[in-house]
Amino acid sequence: MNLRGPAKKALTEMPSLNPDRLLGLLFVAVSVAVLVLWVPNDIETGLIEKVRRQVRIGDSMMPVLSLAFVIFGAVLCLFAPQRDAPQLTLAHVRYLFALGLVLAASLLVMRWAGPFAVDLFGAEDTYRNLRDERPWKYLGFVLGGTGLVAGIMTVMEGRFSGRTVLVGFVASVCLIALYDLPFDDLLLPPNGDV
Amino acid sequence: MDLIGYIGLGISAVFSGPELMPGVPITPFMILAGFFLGIVVGATPGLAGPMAMAVSLPILISVFGYTPDALLPVLGFMIGIMKGATLGGSVPAILFNTPGTPDAYMTTLDGYPMARAGQPGRALRIAHVSSATGDTFSDLVLILCAPFLAIMVERYLDLPEKTALLILSLAFIATVIGRSVGKGLISLGLGLFAVSIGTGEDFYPRLSMDMPALATGFSVTSAVLGVLIIGEVFKGIEDYARAQRSGQGLQAPRMEGPQGLAAGDLRRILPYIARSSVIGTIVGALPGVGSTLAATLGYSSARATHSRRDTQPEFGSGAPEGIAATEAANSSVSGANLIPVLSLGIPGNAAAVFLILAMESIGGFNPGPSVFRFSADGVNPELVIAFGLFTAMMFANLLNWTVGGVFMRLVGVMVRIPRAILLPVVLLLTLTSIYVGDPKMSAIWIAIGFGVVGYAMRRIDMSPLPFVIAFILGSRFEDTARQSFEATGGNPWFLFSSPVAASFMALAVLIVVLSFINKRSARA
Repeated sequence: MNLRGPAKKALTEMPSLNPDRLLGLLFVAVSVAVLVLWVPNDIETGLIEKVRRQVRIGDSMMPVLSLAFVIFGAVLCLFAPQRDAPQLTLAHVRYLFALGLVLAASLLVMRWAGPFAVDLFGAEDTYRNLRDERPWKYLGFVLGGTGLVAGIMTVMEGRFSGRTVLVGFVASVCLIALYDLPFDDLLLPPNGDV
Repeated sequence: MDLIGYIGLGISAVFSGPELMPGVPITPFMILAGFFLGIVVGATPGLAGPMAMAVSLPILISVFGYTPDALLPVLGFMIGIMKGATLGGSVPAILFNTPGTPDAYMTTLDGYPMARAGQPGRALRIAHVSSATGDTFSDLVLILCAPFLAIMVERYLDLPEKTALLILSLAFIATVIGRSVGKGLISLGLGLFAVSIGTGEDFYPRLSMDMPALATGFSVTSAVLGVLIIGEVFKGIEDYARAQRSGQGLQAPRMEGPQGLAAGDLRRILPYIARSSVIGTIVGALPGVGSTLAATLGYSSARATHSRRDTQPEFGSGAPEGIAATEAANSSVSGANLIPVLSLGIPGNAAAVFLILAMESIGGFNPGPSVFRFSADGVNPELVIAFGLFTAMMFANLLNWTVGGVFMRLVGVMVRIPRAILLPVVLLLTLTSIYVGDPKMSAIWIAIGFGVVGYAMRRIDMSPLPFVIAFILGSRFEDTARQSFEATGGNPWFLFSSPVAASFMALAVLIVVLSFINKRSARA
């Protein structure tokens, strides 16, 4: 559509919403929603409670007070925004998504590689019983840790190479040497809660 | 026991405590190790003292356990890191124009031109003398002021006044840090809200939505490391990916002529060191105001004096006074920052947050006014630890004056470690460290969640420090408020029930209003 005259002028001169104002609006809305929907339904006592003729501060006071701080701060952002306020953009969200994928994949490998290997290679025991035995206890950490470092290096450098895997492997082995070899009581992930 | 007796016990606790091997006490060794590690970390752009403190804490606790004997070796190591990192930050700033820590940015302005002019050794020596002087001065002020402040607080402040003081501190931290008062208050509120989840006095853990993961609340380690360290790493990864820059290809400056301090250097820089030390100490004693501001104020003040005197070279072109003013100011923050920690139990910066975390994790030492209680009958063990800490700080200063300068000149190579390797390894190290301290995969996921919060805060120019300090102080704030309310018989105006409490509250409001007006006019 080709706009002309006043319509075009109105559109091009329409002030865009300052990122701070947007932030203020968002925090006011979310805080009010939390105050109205979450706080009253998920806390047993109100702001003040009376126990055996004694008046006490209830469990709701702290969350309500904290949300009051948030709302006050958000209102200040709304009415006195920074002129050059930075904002979260779609590019930031895309980056977080990519990073989240790398982290999720590597942590899942870290969690399940050990139990999977025990099942696959027929050790007649469960991973839970073998989690303090070499090499089983290192398997998940080394594979997941290598994947995490290599994946993030790939995100940073924009390309995958064997060097990223080597760095990840060396880093994981060094952390085993730092945390596991000298200390019997420290557990590497995921061996504390499998 | 009297003061002299406690000082003697404190010194003895450091030098005659548990032994590493026969005849070698462990605490001085740990201070030395922490100090060297701190210099290495400070000299590595992308790493910072608090990161090293965070990842070493679970290892230290595993080595030393949860006994009172562990306090001085662990805290000594962390104090060593804190001091070493400040010194190390100037090395890449001078040699490669790359500040190792944010507060060393101003050091690049004169340090790098001096290094480019063939005198990197002289620049490093000026930085070392200034940093060590500022640090020592600040520690002396801490040792003199913290006990008196604590005694005053304990003698004159009752529960309502203590609650009002906590509100004043939180308001100060929220409004002074960062460029926006509104965002500081949001960060503070979010920190208080996060610490509310899964806690409270009712049988049902509040705001837990019947989820077991929320019912126990967020662990301090996951929240603090997530927001402070992982958030920073996430931002660093993205910045690198966009800029595609690395530390490779940096050219070490050539050396021409003598590299020691030139004749008259000390006389020239001493007045600047003195003034910056005072500025840094005052700034450091205020909770939440960091060493970067101290360095900026110290440098600006010195530049004004320098231009009036018309001395050559000018600031920005290799003036020794510029290096001295910056390094003395940022180093004198570290000791003074512990004044609110030891006297009030309020952390003033990220390093202090990790010191408090260490104290809380080990137990047996609760920073606050009660530490400095001189009892006529018997010995107050917390006071012995406090004087042990002072001794550890002075021992670290001794190391700084003697071996610090030599070691800092050796670590220039650290700047060559590519960030593309450093940041992912730091992330894996931090996640492993969190798991080792709290062996549940959910702790890692929660820390990553807080990391996303910390990343988003940095991207919208919201300081994460009010969040972290509110998270740490939140439970104490709530407990004190509950006790005050009950002690005053349910008086809803208990925060205004005494002139002192009312003054603190008025001051809190005044600080918010003045900060808002100042920051708004600064933007206009």
